[in-house]
Amino acid sequence: MDKQDQGQKRQDIRHRLRYIKSLPTLPPIASMLNKMVEDEEMTASRLGSVIEKDQVLTSKLLKMVNSSFFGFPQRIGAVSNAIVLLGFNVIKTLIVTSSIFDVMQSSDVGLWEHSLGCATAAGIFAKRHGLKNPEEVSTAGLIHDLGKVVIRAEFTKEYEEIQNMVKERGISMREAELECLGVAHPEIGGWLIKQWNLPDRLILPVIYHHNPEDATDFRDIAAIVHFSDILIRAVGFGSGGDKWVPPLDHKAWERIKMGKGEMKEVLNELDEKIIELKDFTLRMQQTKGGAGE
Amino acid sequence: MARIAVVAPVLFNRQGERLFLEARGHEFMFEQDVQAAVEDIVNDPPDLLIMQKGLPNDLDKTVIQALKDSLQLALLPIILCISRQDLTSGMDWGEYRVDDIIFTDASLREINARIGLALERTKRVADNNPLTKLPGNSSILRYIQEVLDARLSVAISYVDIDNFKPYNDLYGFSRGDEVIRMVARILVNAVREMAGAKGFVGHIGGDDFVFSTPIEIVRDVCEKIIDDFSALIPLFLDEKDIDAGCFVGIDRRGEKVTFPLTSLSIAVVRCMPGRYSHYGEVAETAAQLKHKVKGMPGSVYLIDRRGQNNGDE
Repeated sequence: MDKQDQGQKRQDIRHRLRYIKSLPTLPPIASMLNKMVEDEEMTASRLGSVIEKDQVLTSKLLKMVNSSFFGFPQRIGAVSNAIVLLGFNVIKTLIVTSSIFDVMQSSDVGLWEHSLGCATAAGIFAKRHGLKNPEEVSTAGLIHDLGKVVIRAEFTKEYEEIQNMVKERGISMREAELECLGVAHPEIGGWLIKQWNLPDRLILPVIYHHNPEDATDFRDIAAIVHFSDILIRAVGFGSGGDKWVPPLDHKAWERIKMGKGEMKEVLNELDEKIIELKDFTLRMQQTKGGAGE
Repeated sequence: MARIAVVAPVLFNRQGERLFLEARGHEFMFEQDVQAAVEDIVNDPPDLLIMQKGLPNDLDKTVIQALKDSLQLALLPIILCISRQDLTSGMDWGEYRVDDIIFTDASLREINARIGLALERTKRVADNNPLTKLPGNSSILRYIQEVLDARLSVAISYVDIDNFKPYNDLYGFSRGDEVIRMVARILVNAVREMAGAKGFVGHIGGDDFVFSTPIEIVRDVCEKIIDDFSALIPLFLDEKDIDAGCFVGIDRRGEKVTFPLTSLSIAVVRCMPGRYSHYGEVAETAAQLKHKVKGMPGSVYLIDRRGQNNGDE
């Protein structure tokens, strides 16, 4: 693809993003939430604790609260705060009307687990690092690969092509995306959430999660997401879509660098949380079905 | 000119019909996919919604209920599109809380008339505050008087935002509006979640609100409101002010003055049957309490002790 073609393609994709109505949510989460909203005793914060485990529902919730109607554009980056402002009814409506995947592929589960793991790691680092809103950093980790969901849902033909390229030529997903679409998932995800008025504290880390030092602002958050992404792949939880662990940006590592002792503590904490996550995702897959059928 | 969302596949099938209505100056959004439509409606509410009865999975009912239950969207007029048989077999209007109906085979002129009527009607009802869409002063007065007349036992709570004026002066009115909207949403959601249909929230104006709940839960509601407010307010403040722990402004004489950061004060009046007979008495007790609670630093609530026979005032 030459430069001009590439520019054109990028523009086309950006244009198409404007008309994205709904992104698919994983059926196990959707059916669990559907059951939960039937429960009279249910509270918004309990719903929230499940919503914040799904990258698509989380981004939709943030999209709503940051929309011009609710009047807080670019302010709210954490699920718990969004829930306080939106309230039970709106959240219920969001759940009832969320579109779900009719077929769940193993790649979706893999990406979901990867995102959850990255969110968990990012939260741990943010707390250790003394950042003010660790929950937002965790959100940034959760939605960092939203672009991959967009490609799978909206660019079906290209998605297949990208997967074939990854398999046959052994290249990374990001390389394949660049070759096929002229733009890769970090930028696509970033464009979408920018259009949804999410705060820059989330947008920049999503766009720059592979090259955090290029971010104009919030480099510390971008560095944490970058490193969490790599770490969770190295640990082997979930799947990012290819077998490659992305290269580490050493400058970003300098930014969040930890001593050996501290790193060991982080890994122990992460290990424990991953066991809980694994338990959750397995339970989810066993309760598969329900709302979708 | 109004924005009208149409989720009714049976209406306006012909190109000419749509043109006819658009020529009346309205903007129509035809939604094919109900799920996407709901997202659109919640994100960017239209002025009127026309919805078909009998959508799959009872989605029509669910959506109508959700919209009418949401205090901010309850005013959005909904016209339900039904068949003549629906009317013969009987409709449960408690279940379909819509503002008007129209038959699937209605003529264009009729549709047009219904739309015009629905839009005019909403203009007439609007006592609601334009910023928060919450019921305004006359609705609040009516509500409290009704509670007193019915001899119900409720807690009426008056809320205001401390140091809102310096915030507005320093940050500008559009960010001041954000804070007011935030408080409105916190109140509505806390009261809805904890008191359900027994709750009420109104917006007196500016930074003054009123809410009502059963007396037994008012303490919990106040605590939730203050917790939520404390979690959210930092997002509406600049980092330098959070770090300094106060606002720094310049007064009329050009001298530097500092104000405490924005917080909430809640004065709770317990209305037991027979204690008050007129709205004004409730407001008077509230004013006295408010004076006390305003003098306390940070976000606080104060419940009136009168009538507890424990000697304290």
